[in-house]
Amino acid sequence: MTLLAHAIAAAPPASLSAGGLRGRPLAWSEAAAGLGLWSTEWTPDMKLERPDALEHHRLVERICAAQPCLPVRFGTAFPSVDAARASLDKRAEALRAALARVAGKSEIALTLLWREPPAREVTLPAAGPGRRYMEARRAEFTFREARRARAESLVERLTAELAIERPLVWHETCTSASVAVSLAVLVPTERAHERKAELTRIAASFGDVVAVVNGPWPPYTFAGVE
Amino acid sequence: MKELTADDASLLELVDRLLNKGVVLAGEATISVAGIDLIYLGLNVMLTAVETLEKAQERRAS
Repeated sequence: MTLLAHAIAAAPPASLSAGGLRGRPLAWSEAAAGLGLWSTEWTPDMKLERPDALEHHRLVERICAAQPCLPVRFGTAFPSVDAARASLDKRAEALRAALARVAGKSEIALTLLWREPPAREVTLPAAGPGRRYMEARRAEFTFREARRARAESLVERLTAELAIERPLVWHETCTSASVAVSLAVLVPTERAHERKAELTRIAASFGDVVAVVNGPWPPYTFAGVE
Repeated sequence: MKELTADDASLLELVDRLLNKGVVLAGEATISVAGIDLIYLGLNVMLTAVETLEKAQERRAS
């Protein structure tokens, strides 16, 4: 029996209803280190589809609401209960530290999208093709650097105005032509909606970007183990 | 290039977290992933890796 992993939690397991992905049994596999894995009993020949990813998310939300947990990357599977236990035992110390870090916390996600599309090509009718090419490259580079600097300044303002510690913030800038900032903050779950409203208010004050705020979500971004 | 809407961005952020964040555990089996929209470079990379694994498995099986 294959186990499709959802989340890691400390023993004892919370009391959860038995339904896992696609209504298959939800299983708890306890390792020797006092940790356990919530997973769905699966078969390797079943392909994972997009709805499964979203259902995995809902399952992780359900588990995290019942007890502190570390979401496992979607699509992770173990060929047996013993393999799952061995994997947890091997990294038990780091997993316990990560669990302590995210316990009682949720993630709020913020995406800032540029209002204006990237600048168009520079036109220099009198110039030759080589010069036009070089000028266009220069303009593109200058534009890209300006956007990156602006995106970083937005992150600085958000972090300062939220008054949140750096280790509780993760961000990337300019990941595509449309995205200025992708940012995640780890906040106490009981204050998650209040913090989300603050983040929304701060982001709405930026004139050149549209803010999309999501969450609270399980602490996906902060569950990483070195 | 398609303009990214707020709904696209929300889905993109969530799917990115499901596939690229969270705990990575060693010793896992491979389960194929199909039908997930390729809306983000990270997903493309991830799914390309899965496809490569699938092809390698098919080659081994044949």
